[in-house]
Parts: sequence; C-alpha cells; structure tokens
Amino acid sequence: MNAIRKSLHPGWLLVAPFLLLVIALYLGPILNILWLSVTDPEPGMGNYRKLFVSDSLLRIFWTTIRICLITTVGSVLLGYSIAYAMVHCHQKQKSYMLTLLLVSFWISILVRTFSWLMLLGHRGLVNNALEGMGVISEPIAFMRNELGVLIGMIHYMIPYAVLPLLVNMQSLDMRVMDASRNLGASGQQTFMRVYLPLTLPGIVASSLLIFILSLGFYVTPAVLGGGKVLMIAEYISVQLLVTLKWGTAAMLAGLMLFGVLAMLYIMSRFMKLSAVFGGSA
Amino acid sequence: MFEANSDKGSLQVRNVSKYFGTFCAVDGIDLEIQRGEFLTLLGPSGSGKTTLLMMIAGFLDITTGDIALDGNSISDVPAEKRNFGMVFQGYALFPHMTVRENVGYALSVRKRPESEIREKVNEMLDLVQLTEFADRKPGQLSGGQQQRVALARALCFEPPVLLLDEPLGALDKKLRVEVQDQLKDIHRRVGTTFIYVTHDQEEALSMSDRIVIMRDGAVEQVGTPYELYEKPINEFAAGFLGKSNFLHRSDGVYALRPEKIDIRPSGTGEGEPRLSGTIQSITYFGSMQRIMFLTTDGEELEVDIDSWRNRDPLAEGQSADLFWDKGAAVKLEE
Amino acid sequence: MQDKQFMRETLVDGAKAFKEGRLNRRGFLTLCAMTGFASAASFPGGAEAAADYIVMWNWGGQSEECHGGAIGKPHEAAGGLPLRFDTSGPLQGKIKEMVDSGNVTADVCDADLFDAVALGPTGHLEPIDYNVVSKDKTLPNYALEHGVSIILYGYAFVYDTEAYGDNPPNSWADFFDTAKFPGKRSLYKWANGSLEAALMADGVDKDALYPLDMDRALNKIKGMKNDSLYWGSGAEAHSMCVNGEVSMGMVWQNRGRNIEEDTEGRYKLVMNQALAMPGAYIVPKGNPAGREEIMKFIAQAQDPDAQLQLLDCLGMTPSNPAAFDNIPEGQQPYAITSAMNIDGVAFNDPTWWGENGGDAVNAFLEAIS
Repeated sequence: MNAIRKSLHPGWLLVAPFLLLVIALYLGPILNILWLSVTDPEPGMGNYRKLFVSDSLLRIFWTTIRICLITTVGSVLLGYSIAYAMVHCHQKQKSYMLTLLLVSFWISILVRTFSWLMLLGHRGLVNNALEGMGVISEPIAFMRNELGVLIGMIHYMIPYAVLPLLVNMQSLDMRVMDASRNLGASGQQTFMRVYLPLTLPGIVASSLLIFILSLGFYVTPAVLGGGKVLMIAEYISVQLLVTLKWGTAAMLAGLMLFGVLAMLYIMSRFMKLSAVFGGSA
Repeated sequence: MFEANSDKGSLQVRNVSKYFGTFCAVDGIDLEIQRGEFLTLLGPSGSGKTTLLMMIAGFLDITTGDIALDGNSISDVPAEKRNFGMVFQGYALFPHMTVRENVGYALSVRKRPESEIREKVNEMLDLVQLTEFADRKPGQLSGGQQQRVALARALCFEPPVLLLDEPLGALDKKLRVEVQDQLKDIHRRVGTTFIYVTHDQEEALSMSDRIVIMRDGAVEQVGTPYELYEKPINEFAAGFLGKSNFLHRSDGVYALRPEKIDIRPSGTGEGEPRLSGTIQSITYFGSMQRIMFLTTDGEELEVDIDSWRNRDPLAEGQSADLFWDKGAAVKLEE
Repeated sequence: MQDKQFMRETLVDGAKAFKEGRLNRRGFLTLCAMTGFASAASFPGGAEAAADYIVMWNWGGQSEECHGGAIGKPHEAAGGLPLRFDTSGPLQGKIKEMVDSGNVTADVCDADLFDAVALGPTGHLEPIDYNVVSKDKTLPNYALEHGVSIILYGYAFVYDTEAYGDNPPNSWADFFDTAKFPGKRSLYKWANGSLEAALMADGVDKDALYPLDMDRALNKIKGMKNDSLYWGSGAEAHSMCVNGEVSMGMVWQNRGRNIEEDTEGRYKLVMNQALAMPGAYIVPKGNPAGREEIMKFIAQAQDPDAQLQLLDCLGMTPSNPAAFDNIPEGQQPYAITSAMNIDGVAFNDPTWWGENGGDAVNAFLEAIS
C-alpha cells in the first residue's frame, strides 16, 4: 500500500473519481457489446462462427476494406496537394482556401451526397453537358456504383485529410528545404528526399483518421452505390434496426473495434504515435 | 588532404539593390571579394546583411545590379546550380537523416558513387571532429556539434564559396569563442572563400580578413579589422566596432578609443595633459578598469586602463589629467 | 439480460427519486456510475413521461397533418387524449431497444404488420384488445394478436412509355425480361416486394407465394443484377425514374402517381400483380398512455371516414372493406383495394415475414451486393 502511495502522484487522487467515471462510461458499453456478441441469440461462439461459414460476410468485409483503402489513398493524395498549395500561397489566398474547406465541413453529408447526384448523375450537369456537346451518346455511369461511392467518400474526406497535413506542413522549418536546394538538389529531389519524409507524420495521421472514419460510413455508400455497395457499417445498422440480429451486429462491431486497435498498435511499432498526433516529436 | 578550389572563388557584387515593394533593403552595394578570403558582413539587424547573403546564395532575386563568380554573372543561376555551400541560421539540418547522410547529401543528390561519398564524408567528419557521431540524428547532438555538422555538410562538395548566416548565434558565449577558433582553423585548411554574416563585432574582429560594416542597406566602411578599428571613417563605424569617445572640436569630430587614453592624478603626468577634470566613477572588471571622466569643459569620456598599470590607485572624485599619443584621436569624415 | 433489465430499472427509479428530490445530485451520479450506463443523462427525461397525450411513432413528412386530421381530431373530440408525433421512424430494432430499456415514450407505431409477428412473441408489444378494436374492420388475415392493419400500401412498377410504347409490360415476368424489354430496373433494397415479384416473374402463382422459395427468388434477382439498381427510400425510387436512370422501376404504388405526374405521363404505373403490404398499428409494451386509451385510438383509425381521409391525404389504401366502395374515382387506379385492382393484387403474408424476415433481408442484401 505504501509502495503504491509513493509511486502515485497525489494529483491522481484528484482526478480519480472522474477517471473511474470515464472508464466506466467507455468500457461499460464496449463490454456490453462484447457480451452481446457471445450471448445473443444464444450463448456461445455462434456469431463468430458465421465469419467462417458465410462467405458473404467476408465479401462485405473485403468490399469495406477495399473502398476504405482507395478512399484513404485518394483523399490523402488530393488533400496533400491542397495542403501544400495552402502552405505555399499568399496569406490572403490561404484564408480563402481555409474558409472554403471549413464551409464544406459544415454542409451536411446528405446534402453533399445528393449534390453529386445532381452533378454526375444520369441526368446530371456533366452528362447533360457532354451529351449536349456530342461527346457521348449515352450518359456515363458515374453514380450508383462503386465509382460513385468513391467519388462521394473521397470528396467528403478531403477536409479531414487536409487539416492534419496542414498542421504538419506549417510546422516545418522551410530553411531545411532551402538547405537542400543550396546543396544542389533539384525541386523533385528536395521533395522526395526531404519534404515528403518530413510530412510523413501528417500523411500517417491523415490516413489513419480517414481510414477509421471511412469504416463507419454508410450514408454515402447507400445513396451513391445504387444499393449494390454494401459496407460493414450499413450491414451492422441493418442487423440492429431491421433484422434484429443484435449478436451479429455486436460481433461485427467488436471485430471492427479490435481491427482498428490492432492497426494503431502495428502503426505504433513503426513510428511514434505522439509524432503522428501532434505531440512533441 | 583537402583540395580547395584554389583557382575559383572570387565574387563580384556590382551595384546590387533589393526592393521589397517600395522598401529598399539593399541599396546599390559594390563589393570585390577575393578568392580564399574570409569576409564578414557586419551590421545591426535590418542593415541588409542577410538579404545580401540570400541574394548571393540565390534564394532572393536581385532587383538591380549583378553578382558574378570569377567574372561570370550568376544572377540568373538558380540556387541549386550555384554550388555555394551555406551554413544556415539554426543550421537547418535534415532532422530525419543521420549525421552521415546529412553531410553526404550534396554528393548523394549529385549521384556520386557510394564509395566516393563514404570517403569524402569520413574526411569531412574528421575535419570537424564528429567521426564518432556519424550515425546519430541531429536531434541527439548538442548545439555546437550541430553547428559542425552544418559546416561539414556545406563544405562536403567542395564549394568555391561558403556562406555563413549567423552560424554561432544559437551557441552560448563560451562555446562561441571556442568555435570561432575552429572555424578560423578550418578556413585556413580548406582555403575556400568564406562570406560570414554576423552582428557580433568580436566574431567579426577575431576571424575576418576583411569586414564590411553595413547600415540601412548600404556599406559604411570596408577594410581589415585593423583598419576599421584604427581608422573608422565615421561615428557609426567607430561606435559599432569597439567603443569610442567622440571629441567635438572646432575643425571636426575625433574618435578616441578608451584604452588609448592614459590617466594620471593631477600634476603627476609627464608633459602637457590633453584634458583635465575629475573621476566620476570606477568600475572594476578584473584585468581592466573603466573610468568615467568629466572634463573641466563638461565633456564626458570613458577611459579603460589595465589594472596592473593602476599602481597608485585612483579614487572616485579625484582630480586627474588625460594623456594620449599623437594620432590616437582619429578625425572622422563629416 | 435479466441483470441488465434490473440495473436499468434501478436507474429509472433513481431518476424519478432525483426528480422528486429524494436523492441529491451526487447520490444520483454515483448510482449512474455504479450501474455504468452511458445513457444515464437521458433518463431524467424518461422519468417525466406522463400520459397527457398519445404519441404516434411514425416516419414524419405529411403523415403528421394527415394522421392528425383523420384520426387525432375525431379521437380527441370523442374524449380521448390529443395526438403528438415522434417522427424518428419505428424500426423493429428501435422498438425493441425502447421496450428493453424500460423507457417507453411511444404509444402507437405506424409500422408493418410483420413487425407485430416479429416483436409480439418476445413480449415487446401489447396485444390488441379485440373487444375494442374490430376484426371485421380490416382484411380477414390482417387482424393479428399484436397488431392490426389500418391501411395498405403496395409494391407495383412503373415503366417508360417511350421505351416500350407499342407493347407495354404488364407483369413481373415482363419486368424481369430484359431481353424482351431492354433497359435498367430498380428494385426495393430491403427485400420486401422484390422477392415476391421475382417469384411471380418466375411463374409462381400470386396466391401461392408463401412460404417464399428463397433460392428461386434470389436466383431470379441475381440473374438481373447487372441491369438493376436498388433503392432504400421513396425519394430515391422516385428520382431513379424521373431522372431516366431506369426504364422500369419497382415503386410504392402511391409514389407511382407522383411519378406519372412528374414525368407528364411518360412513366406509367402497372398495378397488375402489385404486392399489397398491410401497414399496421402496433403498441410498445408498457406504453405511457395505457392500453385502454390506445385501443380506443386504434378503433378510431378503423373508421371508414378516417381511412378515406388517409387515402386522400397520403395515397394509403383503406383496409376496412366498408370503405372499398367509397374510394373516389380519381384514386381508383392507384388504390390497392379498389374494384379495378383488387383481383390482380397479391397479398403479403405478415406471419412468414415476421418469422423469416431477418434472414430474408440478409440473404437479399448479400445477393445484391
């Protein structure tokens, strides 16, 4: 007891009640979900066995991971370009760009999703214009398929990609880039050998953020996928709300949770997460 | 061992100006820099010395005028093609690379063979005495060590000219003196032209072959440390480099260094005293003492004397006479 | 589950005591922390649920004014409680969660009759009191123990008259025949109607659909997968047709009328072999207004006038046979139980869907994705 008292800073005693409350409020529901996954509809590992019996669950998982990965790559690439432009343009243009970026944050996901239908849909602006110009004779199927889902999701995710990258890029000492040029490196060499490695923490942070957020997406896939792109989040919500298979839902939610935790753990083996999430490097 | 570009490295700055909008940062500067010279740009902040250095490095465009290397204009050559080494303020080391990778960077981007890079880097690390730190990252080094890495990195590709932008600014006083010696030693050994920017007069005096004193974007005076110290041409040069008393006489203003004055109790000196008056205060600095002196005409002068010479101690409030050699007081330009 | 139920009740009791001042704030928070529920903050609200009105849980939209005018007003005039709405949508999972949490805030759900079969036996619904509600005021199979059908809606299809002008499709067989009728199709994403349509297209008689032959239905669906889109909301079904994305689209039959109007007649509704779905009122177990009050309300909704008002207002078809003959002429082509349509319609079996719906929806989703 004495040993514990010695090793514990007295400050902990002050926050202990709140800490316990937070732990209870976070862990409680999570444990509840895990409990549900082995008890509903009947005790046992039946829900988990479905993973090995049903190839459709695996297909849904694969669809989800594929879409999330492409979304991550796409939005980080575009976000990187935007953040780069913002850091290197004049202050005035930068505040314009930041405003536009934040405005898109405030527009509801439903509005943004349906806007894509207006723009790229069967009778959307783009198809109408192309048909009017005689470039195409049949509308191009941008929407109601996986391409549509990807366009919608990447668009939604770009601001989330830009912000961590922006913070990362703004914190860079630009003299280092000057030093590289001074030492004879071309612009491309400077980018590949200095700028890119130094923005790697931002890239990792954006990628993690977007991948994890994407996993939980279902409005965009539901609307832009034409019903054919079924992602895990939508499937879980169906099991909760429509088919009442709460055990299956809990099992899938638990798997996602542990999948994300495992991913963070693996990442932490390769780099300091504090550097990624803006702590002191 | 170290082969300097002995045939290259003279630099001509011809009537160079730099405007930021309507603000004139550098105003029509002319300079001839000899190859192998250690030239210091000295001036207070805002004097344009760093701007001039950045134009030489190629990071800033010049507004008017021309810069030439060995007679060939380089004004339109981009920074990465000028082949000038540079030690940045704060060093600007690559934090994600080891010391070895930092030093070898210039050769590596020039796609030199691995073995050559290795050999050259070893030589450079030996020069700056950092061989045992080759595999550390810059974050694991002290300020002085980082400064030496920056130097080795800038010299590794044998540039004809090395530019140094307040390279000692981040070091503490004691370390700074030590590094000054090393820097001077390295300059002697490599023979490269050094262009050194600082606002520290001691650094400038102790290392430079020549010093350029700058103010408000213009050159005030150029010369060897001795010339500048002994023959300042105006109040700014005299005041910025060392201390000076200014004597206003009917034919002009004279600068008089405090340590060139001899002080004796009234009536004990040989010959006619230059000035007489009373001692206001004495401050003891160990090896020397600083005396504030008020003449009978109401002029205030500072007198520095070596402590060992103050055999019969002077006291505050005591009457005394001042003496100095002919020529010690330098007449300044209007 | 019993333990959890107990803890939730402990909390609700605590919340009531807190409101009444018997428990100070710290005591209440400690209790919340002890029982470890994140949703503790919502319980004080639950504690004040008082029966000053009836809460109908539905999907919002125009249904508020329509249900208010057709049922709420006459019910209040007859001495009942006034009607209010919770428009968040009474999905099975939400009803189950509400009842399980012991925090029941809705009195009647505007749901499907198969929900009554799915949730009734597990104790999540109040049984219908057929001393107050009449079995004769709905279709014979649609008065079940835990729910009674008030209105009917249906799955029919619209087609593009410009695409198939001279030889229009008239059956699900035509709908699924992309060789004879080339073009894209849209189907309902949550399996209802889509499965039945596939079986009818494959030759199953409309009166012999149940139990559904899932393999047969899914094979038919998969056979047309490359030409199909799937919609999850009426608005989506609507836009797929109006934007010309599909040349034939399964729709809710009352939406068919809007599509005909919005395309100025280019798209036309086919009611032959439409699948009639019994919309039903079901009552969450322990509803705040009490069982007696809500049964009177449901009985009010069975009134032919109320049902005809709903038809006029929402395009929902009456299920009370006494109203069939009074369907206005303008509504007859779109109403399921009008004389011109009733014989061609297939009727949904809520019992099969209630018992097998979960698996059917999953199998369907897996087939189309």
